[in-house]
Amino acid sequence: MYLESRRTFLKGAAFSVAGVAIAKGVFATDAVAESVTNSKFTDTPDTISFYPDRKEWDNFAELDGTDWKRGGIGRHGVKSAENPDGIQVNNYTIVPTVCSNCEAGCGLTAWVDRDTMTVRKYMGNPLHTGSRGRNCAKGYAVTSQMYDPDRIPFPLKRAPGSKRGEGKWVRTSWDDAMAAIGKKMHDTLKVGDEISKKSIMYHVGRPNENGFGHRVPHTMGLDGFNSHTNICSAGAREGTIQWANDDRNSPDWGNAELIFLQSSHAADAGHYFQQSAGLIADARKKGAKMIVIDPRMSNSAGMADLWIPAWPGTEAALYLYIANRIVNEKQKNGDSYIDNTFVKEWVNWDRLMTNKDYLAKMVGYGYISKVPTGNSYEDFVAVLQELYAPYTKEFVVAECKLEGMEYKLDALWDMFINAGSKIATYLWRAGPIGHRGGWMNTRAGFLTLALRGALRGDEGGTSFHHWHEISIAGKGDKATVAGERPPKVDVWNEIAWPPEYPLSTYEMSHIMPHLLMDEAWQEKWTKKGLKVPTKLAVWMPRMYNPVWINPDGFRWIEALKREDKIELSFNLSPTWSETNWYCDYILPVGLAGERNDQQSTPSKPEQRIEFRQAVIRVAAEKMGWKAKNPARATLEAHMKYGLGEIWEETEFWANIMVHHVDPDGSLGIRKFWASKKDPSRAVTVPEYFDAALSLLPRLTETAKAMYKGEEFPVYSYMRDHGAWTEKTNVYKPQEDELKFDGEYYYAHGKKHHKDEVTKDEFGALWIEEDERKQSIGVDVNGKLHEGFHTLSKKLEFFSEWFAEWKWPEYAIPIYPRNAGEYKKMEHVVTQVHHSMMKAPNEFALNTVFRLPYNIHTRSVNSKHLMEISQNHNPVWIYTKDAENLGIKRGDAIRVKVTDTVSGLDSGYFVAMAVPTEATRPGVAACSHHAGRWKLKDSVNIPGFNHPLGIMGVGAPRYDMTNDGKVGTLKPAEGIKPRHDVWQFSEYNKDLDNIWWDGLSGSWQNAVAPSHPDPVAGNHAWHLKVIIEKAQDGDKIGDIYVNYENNFKVYQAWRDKLTRPLQAGDTLRRPQHIKRPAVPLSNKAYAVEIKDV
Amino acid sequence: MQEDLKTEQIARANIYALISRLLMNEVDESLLKLINEDENILSFFPNFEKWKKRISMTPKDLIEKELNVDFTNLFLLHLIPYESFYMRADQQMETGGDNPIQTIYDTFDFQVQLDEARVMSADHIGVELEFMFKLVEAQTKALNDDALEVAAEIAGIQYNFLKDHLLEWAPMFLLNVKLEAGTALYFDAAELALEFMMSDFEYLTHLQTTTIVDEKVEERA
Repeated sequence: MYLESRRTFLKGAAFSVAGVAIAKGVFATDAVAESVTNSKFTDTPDTISFYPDRKEWDNFAELDGTDWKRGGIGRHGVKSAENPDGIQVNNYTIVPTVCSNCEAGCGLTAWVDRDTMTVRKYMGNPLHTGSRGRNCAKGYAVTSQMYDPDRIPFPLKRAPGSKRGEGKWVRTSWDDAMAAIGKKMHDTLKVGDEISKKSIMYHVGRPNENGFGHRVPHTMGLDGFNSHTNICSAGAREGTIQWANDDRNSPDWGNAELIFLQSSHAADAGHYFQQSAGLIADARKKGAKMIVIDPRMSNSAGMADLWIPAWPGTEAALYLYIANRIVNEKQKNGDSYIDNTFVKEWVNWDRLMTNKDYLAKMVGYGYISKVPTGNSYEDFVAVLQELYAPYTKEFVVAECKLEGMEYKLDALWDMFINAGSKIATYLWRAGPIGHRGGWMNTRAGFLTLALRGALRGDEGGTSFHHWHEISIAGKGDKATVAGERPPKVDVWNEIAWPPEYPLSTYEMSHIMPHLLMDEAWQEKWTKKGLKVPTKLAVWMPRMYNPVWINPDGFRWIEALKREDKIELSFNLSPTWSETNWYCDYILPVGLAGERNDQQSTPSKPEQRIEFRQAVIRVAAEKMGWKAKNPARATLEAHMKYGLGEIWEETEFWANIMVHHVDPDGSLGIRKFWASKKDPSRAVTVPEYFDAALSLLPRLTETAKAMYKGEEFPVYSYMRDHGAWTEKTNVYKPQEDELKFDGEYYYAHGKKHHKDEVTKDEFGALWIEEDERKQSIGVDVNGKLHEGFHTLSKKLEFFSEWFAEWKWPEYAIPIYPRNAGEYKKMEHVVTQVHHSMMKAPNEFALNTVFRLPYNIHTRSVNSKHLMEISQNHNPVWIYTKDAENLGIKRGDAIRVKVTDTVSGLDSGYFVAMAVPTEATRPGVAACSHHAGRWKLKDSVNIPGFNHPLGIMGVGAPRYDMTNDGKVGTLKPAEGIKPRHDVWQFSEYNKDLDNIWWDGLSGSWQNAVAPSHPDPVAGNHAWHLKVIIEKAQDGDKIGDIYVNYENNFKVYQAWRDKLTRPLQAGDTLRRPQHIKRPAVPLSNKAYAVEIKDV
Repeated sequence: MQEDLKTEQIARANIYALISRLLMNEVDESLLKLINEDENILSFFPNFEKWKKRISMTPKDLIEKELNVDFTNLFLLHLIPYESFYMRADQQMETGGDNPIQTIYDTFDFQVQLDEARVMSADHIGVELEFMFKLVEAQTKALNDDALEVAAEIAGIQYNFLKDHLLEWAPMFLLNVKLEAGTALYFDAAELALEFMMSDFEYLTHLQTTTIVDEKVEERA
């Protein structure tokens, strides 16, 4: 039948037109098919390889991402002369670099289009063993920052005749700017007296490099480095230094059995986030538990096995409760929970037990009932048992306000104990920076880890960061004429290191403008014999926006506007910022892919470096381009290939020093920056970094084998790979053997004859060096070890030096045990303690949590990050608290700030309320990472055709008033869709789609007064606030600040709480603890205070 | 004998072209005109030929008010004209590179322009039928070039594609079209496609057993 049918079909199918005319014709031509066959591309790869092999990086072809939206080569084939409508193939030179949007230093690769010499995208660097080829949202946003439509295209100078803050700018050149700035620096330094060496300040925000910035003031003989540390991590550093003389810990997340977090740091934002988060995820996949202690339910807390919303600032009590159970309870088999082997060998209990004077003081403080008669380890354990017995469950429930959550404490205990010594933590921002006495968080927190042996730094435990970090960026000396490091500096700068804060960690940056303007304070210390600067000749922030990010921003504005206090200022800044507005020069420097930095981030137990590079320069050089002046190659490349007059610090500093600050070498500075190869010019990037990187022996060996015959083999290795891991599995480093050959001890690259080494009764080995006693190792049970970095070479439960430096009652981990001790021990009681909240509308405001998509001041105007930031950074308020105050979701509220030391009010900010169960009762939350502002939408530069936009993607325009006493800010107009893009327009075709107004919160930092912690010096960020409904006329974003009061608040904290240097003191600061940046001589440390 | 063979291939190509076109996209006025005016083609649509609306309505109205409505119902809304829907246990469509039909096209360097076809994936009935059309065209070209082994090989590919793919699922789909059709044209088109594919498979089976090469040998003998 079908055969017949078939014949019928075929007979009847002699159509009047051919089939080809009828068919739709959906199969492509042969040219399309051949274009695919002839290419390396396929729609159906056998494997998905995220990154090409490194050997292909110099010239790698890839299909264009945009065209994939059209369906890929399966539909269109590959673009060629025969197939013009096919998918575009891009030819890249892939250059490794490092992200600079937070401190984590994750590896990036820049995909430089060889045709356009633009970076088409940034991806991860698979050779970076910390970030492992991955990045967070901020990493992938680097492209949008690089091609920011409002990028500053050339150096700007405050218009002659205008005042700082007027916003009148003229175009200048790098050469003219260097000439003017260099002359001012030269003239200042030429005076050569003590004050001149304190009059130039290099103020570095997040450095993201390891030592180059320190080299700048050091080579000039200045004590002139300032940082942002005291608004960031000073509290944690202080407590960690007391334990280990290392200023931060370093966990082995990936192998831990308990991830023990205070705050969302590490897991969903903050320090070494992304690298840490990946490792934490690995550990949890293997079964690790996670505990998050945080008043706010962060993303981390939401995913944790246990969330403990302790009242902020009381965490030390919680830790001492754990310590109490460890020392006073026994396991079922009768064994102690204490890792006695570790504690006995590696904690300095023996020094406490022989110090009867201090033990007597402990009796006096009421910590223990009597001075123990014996000195044995068992006697020490008995002291611990009595000391921590008061920290009961009932106590901690009341102190941390955990009523109804007692069961969580049981779960906490079980998880803590079950993890053994494999407990990884990162006590960093949050509590330690939020509070007065926040440093006690780390003191108490690390006690629990020490008792369990987790601080041994073994697999899965917690170690200390300097063992996992490599700092060589400042050590390229061999490439210079000098060939060696500069000498130590002989002066001490009171503006950064005031005498009230001898133990601060570190520079008292957040009160720099206060100290400059506080003439009474200057006079006081001048009378006492110090040479206190009353002004700065040159202030040089570098990628820093202190006006916006510091507390008391109006005080910063006041100080920066004062030309008698800061004679000349320039910001090395990649973006517009609130601080730029008040400077004399804005010098545009590079972002992640436009700089040259060595960085090292201790995110796991290994020693690794990463190399941030100016990728367009490197790509161009790989393609045969050569700079006219090799010492300015980065600037030349950026100008030639259309990025603008964007430079970076390595070349900038070398050039300004050699040609302007010390052109004839008479100041002794030039030799540290002039090239050894060609002394007529500045050192180049390859010369400098090859010298610095050659300090790593394994890297050098590998590089020399791989780049035989090259002039700069080690530089070349890092140029091509971007990251290097010098050593892995760095565990228990304190147990490394101290080498002794029978004659000499070998410690830290030096050898000491046995006759020069003495051993004390506790096993520590001492030498006399630089006119003071220093320890080099420790004898533990007959074996010599390098030990920890402390003087005792052990972990210091008892911080003897801290007791000697005026704080004896806090020389051991301790916390007030009852309400009666709150006043007596006020230095370690938070300024937002629950006992200070009297009325239903009084709250502790938690301010320091980071947002995963914003990073302080660096992320503004990245269109990708800005688009996802538009949630008005609300004030989180507990549901019932909001209900009691009649506050509903979306309501505008006034958040009034008041100080619990001085009793003074600071003003208020207006914000949007979001009632939520995700913050605890009594504690409101509002991140201080949002709320950027600008006063003008753009500036017109005489002679330049295009107005320069200002943060036109990320910040609304505000109206500001300030009269020296009261400052206000009010949002005037939000940002709008853009049609005016004149630079990088190809990359910014989507700016007409801007839907957000840019109002991402209030500038709460300005309302906050400075709260300098009396010990660590950190700004204690959290605020006591009074929440009220907004009043008529209030707008979200409004702020009102009484900064006259704020000045008095800083003075109250300084004068009521500190224990300053006094007559009889001979040192500015203990010499064995870190005083970063510039090494100082004994002369600088020496002090004599007059008793007037 | 070889001339007959060539004529048969032209006829086969014509029918594959016609049914692939009809089952892939809406009818346009030029195609409607061709069907109406070519009596050979019209004879394949006996019910449509007798359908009053074919005469009474203007082509534009017929298309917009009847045929397109029916096409939308049959091919876009209610029935799923994709092989993966019928062949996969989970009745999911495979629109990506993992579609086995896509792989077959890739093997033969055929690139489907899905945007041109306005279909979701390469295993749409209209695309598969057009693939058959392309194969028959290629076979004809081989015959014209006297490349008989190649022609036989291409016929083998057609045989396998029908056996392993189209006949595995298209009959089910086409029976559903017949059931659901609201116009004579699509009822007849489904019937035509169904009957033709089955008869064409018998034709190709016959070719497999008495290959073109054999016939050529016979002819020479």
